[in-house]
Amino acid sequence: MSSLAIAVNDLRVLRRDSIPMLMLIVMPLIVMPFVKAAFHLTMQAEGVEGTNGAEQAVPGMQVMFGFYLASQVSFGFYREHAWATWDRLRASPASASAILLGKLVVPLFEAAVQFIVLFGLGGLLLQLHVRGSWVQLPIVAGAFSLCLVALGLAVTAACRTVLQVNAIINISALLFACLGGALVPGSLLPHWATVLSPLVPSYWAMTGFRRAILGESGGELVPILVLLGFAAIFALIAAWRLRFDQQKTGFA
Amino acid sequence: MTLLAHAQQPGTKEARPAAPVLTVEEVEKHYGSIHALKGVSLAIERGEIVALLGPNGAGKTTLVSIIAGILRPDRGSVWVEKTNVLSTGSLARRRLGFAPQETGVYPTLRVEENLRFFGELSGLRGKGLTRRVGEVAEAFGLTNRMHRPARTLSGGERRGLHVAMTLMHRPPLLVLDEPTTGVDVENRARLLAIIRSLASDGHGVCYSTHYLNEVEQLGASAAILNEGHLVGYGTLRSLMADHGHYAVDLEFEGAPPKLKHRVSTLRESTLHVPTDCSPATEVAAILAELGPAVERLKSLELVQPNLESVFTALTGQRAGLDGARQSQDGSSHE
Repeated sequence: MSSLAIAVNDLRVLRRDSIPMLMLIVMPLIVMPFVKAAFHLTMQAEGVEGTNGAEQAVPGMQVMFGFYLASQVSFGFYREHAWATWDRLRASPASASAILLGKLVVPLFEAAVQFIVLFGLGGLLLQLHVRGSWVQLPIVAGAFSLCLVALGLAVTAACRTVLQVNAIINISALLFACLGGALVPGSLLPHWATVLSPLVPSYWAMTGFRRAILGESGGELVPILVLLGFAAIFALIAAWRLRFDQQKTGFA
Repeated sequence: MTLLAHAQQPGTKEARPAAPVLTVEEVEKHYGSIHALKGVSLAIERGEIVALLGPNGAGKTTLVSIIAGILRPDRGSVWVEKTNVLSTGSLARRRLGFAPQETGVYPTLRVEENLRFFGELSGLRGKGLTRRVGEVAEAFGLTNRMHRPARTLSGGERRGLHVAMTLMHRPPLLVLDEPTTGVDVENRARLLAIIRSLASDGHGVCYSTHYLNEVEQLGASAAILNEGHLVGYGTLRSLMADHGHYAVDLEFEGAPPKLKHRVSTLRESTLHVPTDCSPATEVAAILAELGPAVERLKSLELVQPNLESVFTALTGQRAGLDGARQSQDGSSHE
């Protein structure tokens, strides 16, 4: 029940200040129409017929800006430090695992809202046409969200200040988006980048989305399992490094 | 006051548990090479307020954090009633309310939401929770502020909310770390009255403070820490009987002279001379020893034994001063 109380409280905090959601939803919505035409050309060049570019623009921006979900996870912890409520939480009846669980609910909720809004508006406004499986889309999105939430925890555990978190997530978002084929289609990446691509979760998220949207055959479960594997690795790093009694510096 | 309607009353059959509400046994804590706590033991009974006193760096906040279960000691044990804080933390924390030194509220949330959250964390729900939020807010004078974001409260009101949040689940033990720091006179008086009321309703209170006058206002026992040691522990009466002394304070124009035959300490331009007997009998001898320096004497005060003199005797420092005391030989002690 403590987890629920913490999740509800974080939801209240989000309701009072919803600006962080802009990173997750409004920014990709702004970018998608601009990149759609360019992606249309590259998909034509790839020989993918019957596309309009939304098939790459919508999941690409979901993956790129989805990385800010990791920031949301981390900021959720650093905010408690900045407001001096972290020690109060720790001294409350809530156990460490209940606090951890409670703090992850709202980011997962944000991920769900992001997915619904981006793919919903992508279908309505950008004529995103899913030829493959609509069911597979949320499964890929869910696995990717778990991966990002675990990444957020790992970064929270490894960093001491919120500025470090911000820098690491921003760099990761850009680098992983490029390597993963979210910002630039995989077919246009230089050779050295295509070698590195499978090492980043965004590549597997893009592969999963692409297979679901375009109906490409070949191991629909593989991207999902790899994303869950990344999530497990990040969670292990978090478990290894996360110390509840470590003082962290957030924006006061 | 309905604030603690469910608390057990001292003196009743239910209020005589086998264990004190708080038991601290031989607690030790190191931070690297710094030995912050050196075998501290104390106990707080129901209805008792124990004030933790000590200079900065004495170990008060470390001890309070260990009691609250957010810091693990290297050695020793802490019990809230019969629950071990170290091995069954979550259960023990249900029995205590902790207000850390730094004000910790959710600034963007309304007062009512801040209170509600800590009630929810403790398992309160529905009408019981709503009723409790109202009771606590009323006790702290926050009823008219319920729908305001906490960031819009005055500093004193925010501090009140900070303490109020600890009371939502009616804990038998309250652990308050310098709760009146930065609080105006009115809110401080209100807070002290609430704490007295809590104690009279049967709650144990561990109260860390820099303000010695609050100890007397609360009718608290005192536990004095210095450099990680518990150097004094007991009621004010017993502490004054054991460690209090009379003193003569002599203020000079310019630097005070050195006394050859008496122990004395310098406080800026004032010479503090403790005595074991009545200071009146000592004054003449001190004046004689001053010699020509007596012409620079601006004022002379006879000091009765009080908590401050106990504090000074046990810690070598004046209460409320962060800096070091300078002794007659010019050396300083942190």
